[in-house]
Amino acid sequence: MMKLLVLAALLAPLTVHAQTRADMQCKATGKDLIYDCTIRLARGDQPLEGAQVSVGADMPSMPMAHNVKPVKARPGNGPGEYLARLDLEMTGEWAVKVRISGKVRDQVVLHYRFDERGARPIRRR
Amino acid sequence: MDEYAIGVLTNIGLISFLGLSAYVLLISGELSFGQQAFFGIGAYAAGIATAMFAWPLPLAIAIAMAGGATAAALVAWPTLRLRGLYFAMATLAAAEMFRIAFELLHWQVELGGERVGPDGTQGFRGIRWIFERGVEPLGFLALVWLLLLAFVLGIWWMERSRLGATLRAVGADPELARSLGVDVERLKLAIVAASGALAALGGALFAHHNTYIEPRNFDLMLGVHSLAYPLIGGLGTVLGPLLGAALDIGVLEGSRFLQGYRMIVFGGLVALLLIFRPRGLLDENLVHRLKK
Repeated sequence: MMKLLVLAALLAPLTVHAQTRADMQCKATGKDLIYDCTIRLARGDQPLEGAQVSVGADMPSMPMAHNVKPVKARPGNGPGEYLARLDLEMTGEWAVKVRISGKVRDQVVLHYRFDERGARPIRRR
Repeated sequence: MDEYAIGVLTNIGLISFLGLSAYVLLISGELSFGQQAFFGIGAYAAGIATAMFAWPLPLAIAIAMAGGATAAALVAWPTLRLRGLYFAMATLAAAEMFRIAFELLHWQVELGGERVGPDGTQGFRGIRWIFERGVEPLGFLALVWLLLLAFVLGIWWMERSRLGATLRAVGADPELARSLGVDVERLKLAIVAASGALAALGGALFAHHNTYIEPRNFDLMLGVHSLAYPLIGGLGTVLGPLLGAALDIGVLEGSRFLQGYRMIVFGGLVALLLIFRPRGLLDENLVHRLKK
């Protein structure tokens, strides 16, 4: 009976939940390729507070092998704000992975181009 | 186990599917630079199935594997008459065609106030089945490795059977195998389709692990890595690609203190390995000696 229930849960179509939205601002610290980032998270219209957040980054052309070790973010001053320090290996485009756990589990991927000054979001055409 | 270790092990498992798909082709004598395309087809197909149509993951994986097998067979049908590097070049060209097709794919639907689906070079966000279902990272790691183990056992069993011996005979000398009555073309077509399905399975799991995919995830770099895993790990056993993937990601993770230079060091290590052990660490000779 238990097996049937697990199978039913796996096979049942899922309901659509609100997605987590994120935006990020990063400043170069002046140290070699280290950036201080502020991430704002919201779910629906509400800022997402009290979540455990870790931030990593992948190179889009080699997502599983060429990446940055995730770091834990700490809560910032504003609502839904989290602070993380990213230590990248090189400048250029990175897919920043914001993984959320705790009362909400989700993951948001942000594309930013990092340079000597900071980071800016990428819109490709 | 902490989140980082789970992530590394999950990545080794995911990329091993790609290494296995290249391995089955290598032992049948074919060198493919295009396995990343089938990985991508699996990722897109499974992502579309769960994120846009809210279908369950097992069904999405089945669709992805069928799509990967079909695409691989369609590529192989006209190109298998080519030999050696010509076949490799044809697979590379086909893979680039698929990657460009992903760049041109714009198909989104409105779900819960969000646009979901492939958006060309902007990628495909919101493949959140495992998060919606509350599947913990450890649970997903177990799913990846259980599936990998099942396919490793399947290939191991196949290699010990008459089919495996026939496949290695075709890889060693297709003309001789043909003269012994083996339908080389049909066998190779079936193996290429199976390798496409295997790569697509890895891609389907990757899309759900990453929640986001984009065409550049499936470029030549991934294809080179997929080929490197069996060549580093060894062509003597099905465990070779897994060893190659573990070494690749293990060495890269273990040499973070070298920062960007670690890729250069890793490339040098691979070059040395291929000079001194051209058929990998677990090559046929070593496996034969170990069996004795």
